[in-house]
Amino acid sequence: MKCGMDPELAMFEQTVLDFASKELLDSRQENDRFPFGPLFTDVLAKARAVGFFSVTMPEELDGSEMGTTELCLLLESLSRVDASLAGVVFTDTLAKEIVYRARGFLRLKELTGKVSELGGSLFAFPSQSDPADCVGITAEPAAEGSYVLSGKADYVVLGGIADSAVLPVRTGDGFSFFTVDLAGAGIGIGEPVQSLGLHACPAVDITLDGASGLLVGDEGQGAEHLRRVEGRMNAACAAMSLGVMKGSFEEAVAYAKERQQGGREIVNWSEVRRMLARMAVKMKAADMIVAELCRSAEGNEPGWEMGSRVAALFAGEASVELTRDGIQVLGGNGYMEDYGQEKRFRDAGQIRSLMGLAPIRELKLMESYLAGEPLY
Amino acid sequence: MFSEDGNSEVLEREPRFDDITCSLRSVSKLPRGVFPETRQVIADARRFNDEVVRPRALELDRMKHEDPDYLPWDLVEEANRRGFYSMFIPKLFGGHGMNMPALSYMLEEIGSGCSAISNLVGVHYLGIATLCGSWNTRLMNKIMRDVAAGEKSGKPCLVSLAITEPGAGTDTEELELISRAKVTCHAEKVPGGYRVNGRKIFISNGHLSTWHITIAYSDLDNPAETTVMMAIKTDMDGFSFGRQEHKMGQKGCPASELIFEDCFVPDELVCFDAEQAARYARPMAKITMQVLDYVLSASRAGVGAFGTGVARGAYEEALRFARETEVEGKLLINHEWAQCVLAEMYKNVALARLSYIETNYANGMYGLFKVLNYKPIFYFMKYLPQSLVDAFLEPLVDLDFVTWLFRKIYFDWQKDAEYERTSGWASLSKFSATDAGERNSELALELMGGAGVRTDQVAEKHLRDSKLLQIYEGTNQLNRLNLFKCMIGRSAPEAKVFED
Repeated sequence: MKCGMDPELAMFEQTVLDFASKELLDSRQENDRFPFGPLFTDVLAKARAVGFFSVTMPEELDGSEMGTTELCLLLESLSRVDASLAGVVFTDTLAKEIVYRARGFLRLKELTGKVSELGGSLFAFPSQSDPADCVGITAEPAAEGSYVLSGKADYVVLGGIADSAVLPVRTGDGFSFFTVDLAGAGIGIGEPVQSLGLHACPAVDITLDGASGLLVGDEGQGAEHLRRVEGRMNAACAAMSLGVMKGSFEEAVAYAKERQQGGREIVNWSEVRRMLARMAVKMKAADMIVAELCRSAEGNEPGWEMGSRVAALFAGEASVELTRDGIQVLGGNGYMEDYGQEKRFRDAGQIRSLMGLAPIRELKLMESYLAGEPLY
Repeated sequence: MFSEDGNSEVLEREPRFDDITCSLRSVSKLPRGVFPETRQVIADARRFNDEVVRPRALELDRMKHEDPDYLPWDLVEEANRRGFYSMFIPKLFGGHGMNMPALSYMLEEIGSGCSAISNLVGVHYLGIATLCGSWNTRLMNKIMRDVAAGEKSGKPCLVSLAITEPGAGTDTEELELISRAKVTCHAEKVPGGYRVNGRKIFISNGHLSTWHITIAYSDLDNPAETTVMMAIKTDMDGFSFGRQEHKMGQKGCPASELIFEDCFVPDELVCFDAEQAARYARPMAKITMQVLDYVLSASRAGVGAFGTGVARGAYEEALRFARETEVEGKLLINHEWAQCVLAEMYKNVALARLSYIETNYANGMYGLFKVLNYKPIFYFMKYLPQSLVDAFLEPLVDLDFVTWLFRKIYFDWQKDAEYERTSGWASLSKFSATDAGERNSELALELMGGAGVRTDQVAEKHLRDSKLLQIYEGTNQLNRLNLFKCMIGRSAPEAKVFED
């Protein structure tokens, strides 16, 4: 996002873009073959080394203490090249934010004394779902703060590669979050789930049979813990959608300037040019929305969280529409894996469904507004 | 009170009476036997869906993910065993002689389970339709009887259409564009035939087909007037397969590269060229476009049926999900907004289906099917035993006179308004139904959320599959322009199409 960006942020964006170009661009198609090809573990290791994980965590948790703006810039820039790594960063950040904002790491330190290790390792989370609808696990209290968990958690993103997972569990009338050690007893990890997009950000179904779980924050307060991080993470969703849009737009324009039809470059046919213009409008609108959102988030302006929900919904829908046209501009080539467009279309659909059903998120937005939360 | 004076004049205004009454005009002319045939075809397709398509669709998709070079011969052999590859070939040419419009219903049915498998059947008829569009009855008989023999022997004989080139996709389907296109597939006239050099890409079913109806050009600088349509067999010298494309969806149906290196095609395998066209009234370029329009008017209805099928498949998966999934404490199907989404999806399916049905009525009246739908011919061919067809009628199709007669009927006697009508309707169906397919797939994912992106929930496969439908058989943008040209621009003399 260019709007109002200071030189330091511009330098940060360029650093991430350089990383993505060097580490992701050439192997994008090969990486996307997972689970039918190898996972890009070397890239994950490099991403960890340069501090892309735990980005919003404080330094004492091995984090970079980034704000919403830097997080959005990071995810947008990665998604511009290959959104899968952004999906990894997003899920890890979401899980850790929930634990951190619920002061869960302090509690974990009391219990395990391994707080820095927890902060620096990769966390899994069912990030494609609304936690309130994840009702497949039951919890029975054991030792203080520790519970015995049984049941099934569907589509736990990074569940096959992370060290720990944060899982929502139905408790009483509400739900609570628990951390589980994925290498612990009673944990069954399924095969990677084949999905629409973000193939290199894999998910698994997990079964828990008397597994040990540590309560995050207060029991039954999952919705409140989630609410504290939703603003930032919705902004992150919007930034990922924006990055995918930029990548698709750039490739479509470049192709249209080269490919000929009827004896001239297709960019000179007005219907193609108008399609590109519609893509530009969606992309630029999302760019301005994310930039404004980051500005208001950094200033903690009243109502910025509502704006972040709007941004995620808008950018999610716009990116599906834009990437659909991004394929169409390239015609048959756009449908082939040799080009980036088909992957972007799939990734856009996957990103749009992060944090739960879009129509339910729309309904909740209105519910909040009708309950008095300011929208503008 | 009800005077007919001046009716013709007012009914010629847009929208023209003949354009909006294809079904009305067709109903009284259609043989009643079309109905039970169509009923049988749909029942056969549903059984195929239950027993083969739905149980195998995800597995096939996964196998192609794992091994992009995998070829689904077992599915092709199963379709062949069920008679699907000669089901719609006229009995005169050794087939089962089911009415051609019923093919669209079959493609919708199979497409609702898996549009890739639907393509494994449907694209074969694109090759057949192109062959038929040339009305070279001797060659039609030779190749279609190969298909019928393949059914009897259990060795499938499929036919593909090879037209798209690396530098020319959309261009090859419009006369106004092809004259400016960068085509490279060259058919050089040599004694006794043509020598072909070049490449074709994105050829559906290419690796699975025995015959390839191939479009090349004897003068690459003047392709519109030098089109050569040939039947090229897989085992001919100079022909080879290149790579299979790695597609986003429709993975079960291979998209192939065909390579021609000094491939000699004898005159008897030339379906149609400028020399043959010289006997007919219209100039070569116009006849070429006429042939393409006959084919595309039929095949675009078929793609409309694919679109309807995928729209229906997405709708069915969304409905299933809504009936079994609780959201916010109650079944999704009991949320008012979800009911409206499902109603919208149902509407998209219904309107898409109506579009290909209306197009097929137009094709039956004015297009490729018009002779077969003529009642005396329909019943004569339906009830004449195959042995008598083979003994007395088949020898006739080898006569030049028969080719000449059919071409007179189809090339010279077709009015411009008739092929504009069929072509316009076909484009309307193609882009409407395929947009509906893509739209419904998106709506299914929207309704299903995180579950929708899982391949095992099928909806995301429908989304990947549906996108290709908006691209092949002329992009939806080209089809909009063709609709404009055929149904709108003709009444606006100041309008110029493809001259942006």
